Amino acid sequence: MIILENDCLDIRCPEVHDHAWCGIEFQRTLRIPDDGEDHFLPPGLGCFPLRHLDDYAERLPGEWLSRGGVIMPMFQAEALWIGFDADSYPFAIKIATGKICALTGESWVDHLNTDPQDYLVLPEQPWLDGYCVEKGIVRQFVAMPLGEGYTAEEQLQGAAQHGGLQIVAYPMKRERYEKMSKEIGQDDYLASYPEMDMGLAPGGRMQQEIYEDPYGLDAWDQRHPSRCFVTIANSVQWMAITGERPPIKPPTARDYTDAGLPWFDYYDADAKAVSGSDVLKNLKSVKQTGEAKGGAPLPENESIGVSRVVSLQDTRGRKVREYAAGEAVDS
Amino acid sequence: MIFGFTRQRHKKLDEKYNMYYVLYMTHFGSTIRTQRESLRREDRRFSLRQVAQRIGVEPAYLSKIERGDVAPPSEATTIRLARELGENPDVLLALAGKVSSDLQEIIRKRPQLFAELIRQMREAPDDAILRVVREVRDGDW
Repeated sequence: MIILENDCLDIRCPEVHDHAWCGIEFQRTLRIPDDGEDHFLPPGLGCFPLRHLDDYAERLPGEWLSRGGVIMPMFQAEALWIGFDADSYPFAIKIATGKICALTGESWVDHLNTDPQDYLVLPEQPWLDGYCVEKGIVRQFVAMPLGEGYTAEEQLQGAAQHGGLQIVAYPMKRERYEKMSKEIGQDDYLASYPEMDMGLAPGGRMQQEIYEDPYGLDAWDQRHPSRCFVTIANSVQWMAITGERPPIKPPTARDYTDAGLPWFDYYDADAKAVSGSDVLKNLKSVKQTGEAKGGAPLPENESIGVSRVVSLQDTRGRKVREYAAGEAVDS
Repeated sequence: MIFGFTRQRHKKLDEKYNMYYVLYMTHFGSTIRTQRESLRREDRRFSLRQVAQRIGVEPAYLSKIERGDVAPPSEATTIRLARELGENPDVLLALAGKVSSDLQEIIRKRPQLFAELIRQMREAPDDAILRVVREVRDGDW
């Protein structure tokens, strides 16, 4: 089951095990330059607000309502990263945008696959910032309108059908977890504007490893899926639907860097990274698609010179990329 | 003698109050110290000084809180501390003998209903309580 708690998806499987819990949040962040360079990890600037779609049923198109799930606001060309929180209980998580797997580029299926691996493993994986295009490299998730050819879904399927983000989570099998624990000791308005749907598209390149499953496919309890469709609304839609203002636009990568604020680098010396997807590698970035159309879809896309990078080691269960004003960080 | 009785009653109340007070201070303090020191073993950013700086208090004050020498801090500071240490804010507030202001507001709007609900759920197992929690509905996609 999935519940909404303080703008986070709280996933619990008490029918499997009392400890089977994990959390998923969507962090506002800087959009890294889409300039062909490999950038460091940008900071978290706070969670995007999440609301039950059902709370605004009378203002939503029927197609949105039928998908269920939650709704979240994003500005066009705004970026996000997905943060995971888990204690000791492992989970396998599949993430898709527009029903295209963010790790393999394959069309959505509920079940897990290993060749190639199409899921993340918690608590090993702390974050996912984009599409896994090469080993150790992702292209940042950037919100773009559906129907203009930017999104991964449109580039691979040739049609703008779904948009949004899709998630399914599977807990580890109870027996496997217990064995492992012993071993280690422990509205109408909108219906008239369907073209305003938002999806995610590949942005700039960033250094991030997606870790191989250390437990094996048989470890996951695929009889107990927890699924969620995250509908992305633009700022105008969000205000019309919820009556709330969306968060203010984040600073640009250049403004952030010029202010001397830190970027991040993360590594887990014990984990192996999966290879990137050739399907996703061949996707055009937002900038490349825009240029092919004779436009410039990303404002303020200048390259940056980063001088302050915080190296993070594996600190499982902790959100260490959040930056608070006045916080002391090591460079 | 009535006067004396009243004084004694007050003393008993004070003792009871102080007992809870000391219990909260001690349990709260030891919990955050244990968690902070556990994090510090892997990351030196969790030193007393750095954690105090990030949550906006003096290191000496945080030290006293951890030792149980002073009462748990304000709700806002407790929430910042919980987030800093990766603890659940509601759990830390409960250890501090407090209920968050947003929960108080929810109960204040429908006091009878929520009082009844909480009493009904007092002894229920976790999975039974979770069944009355609102789930994110999954649809057809």
